[in-house]
Parts: sequence; C-alpha cells; structure tokens
Amino acid sequence: MTGPNITIAVEDLVVHAGSKKLLGPISFELPAGNALVIMGETGAGKSLLAQAILGTLPDGLSAEGIIHLNGERIDQLSSQQRSAFWGREVAILPQEPWRALDPLMIAQSQVRESHRYVAGLSRKAAKQATATDFQTLDLTGAEKRLPSALSGGMAQRVAFAAATAADAPVLIADEPTKGLDAERSHTVIELLAKVPREGGTLLAITHEASVAKHLGGELLVLKSGDLVERGATKQVLAQPTADYTRELLDAEPQVWPTTPTTEAGEMLLEVKDVAVSRGERTLLQGFDLTLLAGERIAIAGPSGVGKTSLLDVLAGLQIPSAGTVTRSNQVSSTGIQKLYQDPPAAFPARVALGKSLKDVARLHGEDWSKVLAYLSRLGIDESLLKRRPDEVSGGELQRISIARALTAKPAILLADEPTSRLDPITQRETLAMIADIAAEKGIAVVLVTHDAVIADKWADRRVVLSEFPKRQY
Amino acid sequence: MSNQAILATLPVERRFPIWRVLGIVLLLFLAVCAVMGPDLIGVDPFKQSLMHTLQSPSAEHWLGTDHLGRDMLARLLSGAQLSLSLAALSVLTAAIPGTILGIVAAWRGGWTERGLTLFADAVLALPGLLLVLMLAAISPGSWWALYVGLSLTLWVEYFRYTRQRARVVLSEPSVESSRLLGFGPMHVVRRHLIPEIGPGLLTIAAFGAATAVTAVAALGFVSVGIRPPTAEWGVMMTQLLPYWREAPFLIFQPVICLVITVLALHLSVGGRKL
Amino acid sequence: MLQRSVFWSALAGRAVQAVVVAVVVGIISFAMMQALPGDSAYRIAAGRYGYDMMDAASADQVRTELGLDQPVVVQLVSWLGSLAQFDLGKSSVSGSPIAEELKTQMGYSLLLAGAGLLVSLLIAIPVGIMAGLKPGGWFDRFSLAASIFFRAIPAFAIGVVLMLGFAVHTKLLPVAGFKGPEYLVLPALTLGLGLAAVSSRVIRDAVSEAMSAEWRLFSRTKGLSSKLTLSRHVLRNAALPVVAYVGVQLAFLIEGVVIIESVFAWPGIGHALVHAIFGRDVPMVQGTALALGLMYVVLNLIVDLTCHGIDPRRSKTA
Repeated sequence: MTGPNITIAVEDLVVHAGSKKLLGPISFELPAGNALVIMGETGAGKSLLAQAILGTLPDGLSAEGIIHLNGERIDQLSSQQRSAFWGREVAILPQEPWRALDPLMIAQSQVRESHRYVAGLSRKAAKQATATDFQTLDLTGAEKRLPSALSGGMAQRVAFAAATAADAPVLIADEPTKGLDAERSHTVIELLAKVPREGGTLLAITHEASVAKHLGGELLVLKSGDLVERGATKQVLAQPTADYTRELLDAEPQVWPTTPTTEAGEMLLEVKDVAVSRGERTLLQGFDLTLLAGERIAIAGPSGVGKTSLLDVLAGLQIPSAGTVTRSNQVSSTGIQKLYQDPPAAFPARVALGKSLKDVARLHGEDWSKVLAYLSRLGIDESLLKRRPDEVSGGELQRISIARALTAKPAILLADEPTSRLDPITQRETLAMIADIAAEKGIAVVLVTHDAVIADKWADRRVVLSEFPKRQY
Repeated sequence: MSNQAILATLPVERRFPIWRVLGIVLLLFLAVCAVMGPDLIGVDPFKQSLMHTLQSPSAEHWLGTDHLGRDMLARLLSGAQLSLSLAALSVLTAAIPGTILGIVAAWRGGWTERGLTLFADAVLALPGLLLVLMLAAISPGSWWALYVGLSLTLWVEYFRYTRQRARVVLSEPSVESSRLLGFGPMHVVRRHLIPEIGPGLLTIAAFGAATAVTAVAALGFVSVGIRPPTAEWGVMMTQLLPYWREAPFLIFQPVICLVITVLALHLSVGGRKL
Repeated sequence: MLQRSVFWSALAGRAVQAVVVAVVVGIISFAMMQALPGDSAYRIAAGRYGYDMMDAASADQVRTELGLDQPVVVQLVSWLGSLAQFDLGKSSVSGSPIAEELKTQMGYSLLLAGAGLLVSLLIAIPVGIMAGLKPGGWFDRFSLAASIFFRAIPAFAIGVVLMLGFAVHTKLLPVAGFKGPEYLVLPALTLGLGLAAVSSRVIRDAVSEAMSAEWRLFSRTKGLSSKLTLSRHVLRNAALPVVAYVGVQLAFLIEGVVIIESVFAWPGIGHALVHAIFGRDVPMVQGTALALGLMYVVLNLIVDLTCHGIDPRRSKTA
C-alpha cells in the first residue's frame, strides 16, 4: 500500500469532537524529499492534522483513519506508544517557539539535551554538536541566554535545533512564521525549504500563501476542516480552482489592487525635527512630517525602530525628546483617535461592548442611531454589542473599534498595526474599509505596519524608518 | 511583591457553582443571627443558674447550658454578634482606604507609590496576628484594640492587590483609548478599574472576614483577647474545655459555629483565594 | 547561578525589615508599659528589689535613674536606644534575664516550626502532585474539598479536636508540655494540617500548569521521555511558585506557632509571649515578640535566596 519512499501516508483521516466533525476526510501520501503544505485560515483545523498524526490531540477529540509513518501503521498506537517516534522519526517544530522553550533553562542546554538523550550522543559529542548548531543557525552569542532574552526569530531557530537534533527524516512545522516580521520569517522559511532539498520530508502548516510558495511541493487547502482544493503548490497558486483558494490568494498584500489616491485637504498636523526616545535610548531623530486632511500615510519599518513611540508622539500621548508637533485648530482635543494592534486590549475588558459605545456616544453628543449606522456599514450586527470584548472575534472587534473612533468625529486616525493579528482575508477587508471611510469623511490616517508591501499598496505616501544607528562610544 | 504576583496569575473562576450558593445562604443566615443576636430567642446570655449547670439539650435550653447554667444558644448567638460585627467593621475599615490608596499609588506612581508601598510593607513586617496580639495587649480585653489591630493588618492586602491590578489595567491600551476619546479619570475608575478589581476585592473581603473571626476566637481562646464573662466563641471554648468529660457536646458547639462561619465565608467566594 | 549583587540586595531588604520589626515591637511594648496601671517606678523597683525590700525612696531612685520623670518622647527614645544595644532587660515576673530564656525557648519553637513545615510538605507534596497530574479527576476534587474543609478549621480548633479525640480519649499520645519526642506529634500535626490545606492546592496548581505548558509538550515531542521531561523541566518550573508560596505561608507558620504552642503548653517563644501578655510582663513581651519577628525575617530571607537559586531570570534582572 505504501511505497518504499513514502514517509507519511494518511488515508481518510477524520477528527471529531464528540459527534461534531472538525476535520477531514483527508488522504495524502508524502514521499521522502518532498514537501506538503497545508493552507487555510485560523480555525480551519490545520493544526488538528498534525496533532492527529503525532497523537497529541487535546482531550475530548478523537481521530479515525489510517496513518503510516515510515512504513509502519501508527493510527492504532496510543499517544504513549507514538511518543517513541517523536524527535527520532518525526521532528516537530512548535507554534510560538517562545512558549515552547523551558523558561528556566538556557538556550544551549535545551538543544544539548536533545543531542544527548534523543540522539544518544556522549556528553562531549552532544556539546560539540550543539556548538555546531548554534554556529550554522547564526545563534552565536545566544548560548547562555534564557528564552525570555531571545527574539522571536532566535527562539524559533533554537527550537528548530532542539527538535531536529536526532535527524528525524520527517519535519512537521505548525505555523512556523507566526508572530515573526517579514525579515525573520524569511530566514525561517529558508531553513524549512532546505529540508526537502536535503532529502528530508516536510509537512508545513500555514495561513500565508507566500510561505506555501517558498516551500513548493504539494498543497492542500482547508476551509473549516474540509479539503477544498489540492495539487502541486505552484499549480494551485497560479491557477486556483476553488473560490476559497482564490479569496485566500487575493488576500495576500502582493496582489492587492492599489488603493486609489485621495485628494488631500488642508494641513492638520505638522511634525518638525522630532526626536523620539524610549528610556535612555534614542529611537528616532530629525523626523519631519506634514499630515493633510484625507491623506493616508504608512509608516513602515522593522520591529523595535520606534514606530509605536512615534505614533504616541503624534497622538500627544508622549512628549518628543526634541522638536515640535503642532496641531491645526481644525483638530479638537479628541480629534486624534487611535486603533490598536490587539483589539481586545483596547476595550474595557469586563464591560459589554454596547455599554462602552453608548458611553462614547453620550460623551460626544452623538445619536445612538448614528453609531448603529456606522456599525452596520462596517458589517457588525447589533446583537454582538451584548457581548464582552473577549467574546467576539478579533476582526469584528477591530471594526467595532473603528466605529467607536468615528463616534468621536476625529480628524486624524492613527492605526498601530491594526490588522497584524487578523486573518489575511479579514485584514484586507478591514484596511479597505478604513480607506473608504477616511476618504469619505476627509480623515487623515497614519498606518503603522511592519509589512512594506501593505504600506506600498494601501497608502498615498509612505515613510520607511530604519534602525537608528547605535550610539558609538 | 513577587508572591502577590504569583497569586494574581492563578485563574479566577467565573462560574457560579452550587457550593457558592450554599456559602451565600449560610452567610445570610449567620448575618441574621449576628444582627438579632440573643434577641432572636429572647434569652439573656448572662443569666446564671447554678442549679442547672451542664445540662443536655432540652425544650427549655435547645443547646443545653454551660458550667454556670447559662443558656448555650443565647451565648452562641451573642458570640456570633460579637465576632461577625467585629469582622464586618474591620473589613470595611480596611477595604475603603486600602482600595483607594492602592488606586492612588498605581495612578500617581513615583514617590507616592514608593512611600505607600513602604508603609504597607512596614505594617506587615511582623506577621499579622502577632501585630494584632501586641496591639490587643496594650488594652487587654477591649474589643476596640482588636478592631484597630485587625483593620491595620487587613488593609494591606486590599492595597497590594488593588495597586498591582490597577497598574496592569492602567497601562492597557483600553485606558489610553478612553483618555483619547475624552473620558476623565472617574470614567476610568468606573468602567476600567472597578469591574476589573471588584470580584477580587470581594474575595479578599470574605477571606479577611474569616481571618478576623478566627483571630478573635484564637486570641480569646488563649486568654489574651476578649475576656469573660463576654460570650465569645474562643473564650467559651476555654471555659468549657475542663468539662469535656461531663458534657462533651458543649465544647464542640463553639467550634462548629466557628467552622461554619469560616466555611460560609470561604464558600461564598468560591472557596479559593486569588 | 546566584549572583553576588542579588544576594546583597535580598539581604539588605530583609535587614531593613528586621529594623522595622524591632522599632514596631519597641514602640508597642513601650505603649504597653505606659498603659499599665499604677506607678511604673514602683513596679520596676519591686521587680529589682522584691516587694518586701522596696520603699518610696528606692522608687524615686529608679525614677531618676531611668528618666521616668522625663517627657514621654524622651523616654521612648531611651527605650528604643536600649533595644538597639540588644539590652532586653529582665523579666518583671521571674526576674531572670530575657535573653537567657529566649535561647532555650527559641530551640523549641524552631523544632515545632520545622516539624510542622515537614509534616505539611509530607502531606501536601504527594497530594498536590497527584491532584495536579489529573486536574478535575476524582482525587483532585476530593483533595479540594478536604482543603476547603481544613482551611475552615482554625489551627487552635484543630488542636483542641486532636487533643480531645486523640490523646485524652485514647491515651495514645501525650497532650501537653514537652518531655520527649512523642510530645511533638500532636502540635506538629496540628500545624502541618493547617499549612498543607493551602499548600497542597498551590502545589496542585503549579504541577497542573507545568504539565499543560507548551514547553512541556515540546520537551516530549522533541524526544525526551516523560521521566526526563519531569526531572529536567517540570519539577523545577513547578517548584518555583511552591517555594515562593512557602514565603507567603511563613506568616501563617509564625502565627500558628504562637497559638498552637499555647494550646499544647509547648515550652516555646509563642507560649512565652502569650503568657507574658497575660501576666503583663512587658520586657518579656518585647523580647519574645522581637524573637518571633526576627525568626520571621530570617525564614523569609532563606525563602528569597532559594527562589533566586531556582529562578535564573531573577538574578539577571535584579
């Protein structure tokens, strides 16, 4: 049934929660030296596939179907029995590596113990192998650091080294680029793409088409647990046949249509020679910006360059360490509003959304019907307002926060990575709505993003911040 | 305090299970006993009757009589009145300034916060009960010394909890966004702080009241708190201990009252501390 | 892992606490002295020379010598001054030097505290780990109920119940005083049960949290056996909140020592303190309270340093 080269074979795999089907049926065969990419939005059940193969499904979920790993049938084995394969026959790269590393153990020990106890090397050989790993993965200097002192990209590479120490022929990577910025996710993708090239087998799970494109191989597209399309990755990405696949691909910023330029009005905010610092460290210097009504500006740059602090200076929440920010008298004291990266954190956590919105409407003398009109325009059903912030989805909440900002009749809207935690499709819709409404009301929008492509496609003007040169002594 | 930080990370239950209902019902019952006291049965808890000592429960004396022939039920009710009102009073006296100072410290930061934190740490440099014990010793037998001592030790927990939670809440984007929308400090207190810390404060209050009830009884029991002839559960235990052979049911009555009270307080907030 | 600076900063913090303890105890003791009925000069003179040997003249001599005719503030300062010189004075009841009495009592109190802590850990660690490995299981729910029940019984009530039920009734164990190791059983059990009621839940939470942590799963999926995962990762992470919690429990431990010693007539500092308060022996109250307060500070310091030893993150940030 399975050829000599097939490393993972799955036949009619279905995952249930009680009587409810969450995933499947799915079948595939993955020969050595190949890559299989599973693509779909959050909640599409992608991670369940990996968990069903590994035997790590959460309590209450059950899997059916036939699974072969390296020629051996494993679906009837218990999780305890399957654990014998972990690390040796199949390596697993975790989601959110930061939380997958022991917070109390330094980086090199976490890699070394894999070499020592999983690969079975001697103490000395394990030490040597760890040193080599740290060198090849460009982690020199991080050996003695605790996970809390590692960047997301570094933690991902440490986890990679720890997971692959025993040279398992199969690698499963679940959302390997989650939470990484463009540059760092590129490094990780390179790392993964090398696996099939060197004869290994890769099973990658992602929601980003760009990741799939880099990894190549075969592609399965899942929509809420159902397989909607499959084929060679190149083929599917070039000529998708399912609507859902097309939607997913259209959501990639690279293929967005450029948002039409708006007519700029009068000047609202003038920033002159501003310096921004956090603590003792100067992040930015000599920054100038003129913001006109109705204009869309994107501020892009890697994480840590001071984009958020700059936004706080524009909002008047932080005093610049040098220079001036002047508001025109068009801009009232509540004329600058802000959208946040993490929508649930932007609302009072234990208060129903409707109550929060009514407070704002009352304060600004706005009719409640008008707020409801904003909401329905943004596609939010009134019934959601009975819920608390943690009971609606991130996309819905971000749209509600747009409605909340509009209730205050702002002249300027500052948006701090407002869509970076949303699904690609939702991201695209949300940004399009912001552009629409801003154009209609003549609101100036400043968007902070780590994604240069989004900045390009969406804004009238873009400002790219680069790392401020470290002070020389 | 790092310990506080660890406690605060433990999850708080959101459900309303049956034992919480049980705790609240018990608490209401105890509250009625405390408000009415011996008036509930109209018997004088101090009236001695040396002819009828150490009697078993009867129609006349539902729970029997003590070594001086006083009605046990009346004395237990009188004890409930004393313990619960002392606990309620100290908890209230501790909660209001504790919470307000906690919010002020988190809000103002800087020296205000450092000064208040230092003061709170200084108060609990000694274990709480030891402080209460020493303050009570200044004026032996008086209830106000217990009241002052308990309030002084109990406020610290409100302060620490409120300050720590308020620091987190105040640094959240939601507060910044409320300020940008034009809301004032009172809105932040009403919509952001109170809903966030309210349930926690309630838990601290219940556990604080339990601590107070226990402390009053413990000090009474070792003869350095409330003194006889006042009907106080701890004092009653000391007095009845020598008679446990003749009337074993008597000594357990104040113990059971004490356990039920503490149990009701713990259960009413879900049985676990923050 | 422990860095020098961390050690000193922990030490400095606790040193400040020790000073605060001394000042608070000193001020309260002074207030107690002031609140005593009658002329304190007479009382001190009587304490020195005995009631038969004293008269108004010797009282006056004491008055000028000790500055009892001075304003209260001056008296307070000189009171605290003698405390700063570790001059604890003599017991106004027995007349023996307080420092001497404290030495023997301290041994007994530490014995009881240590035994109580040991009993609590012997109960709490297995119960907590068993409950934490299967959160929501029958054992977890049973131990939760037991914990809530035992928390609701104040330490002295547990003591009384154990005393009546165990010792007096069946004559198995001695109830009061200290004449041999068997006298330790009931007080230590009383103290240990109260402590274990809470710490078993803390251990249970720490274990269940560590078991469901993503880093534990990763340790397994990268190939470590469950045994190695437990010994190399889970135990250390779970120990951290538990040791930190022992710090919180120290206050309860000291309070328990005071009350339980009194219940079982244990010849320790707590019993002496209660006895001194009852007998209005202010120098003794001050000495015993100070000793208990300092014991609290030192135990806290030990817990601090243990936490720093387990958690390398702290030594980096401190």
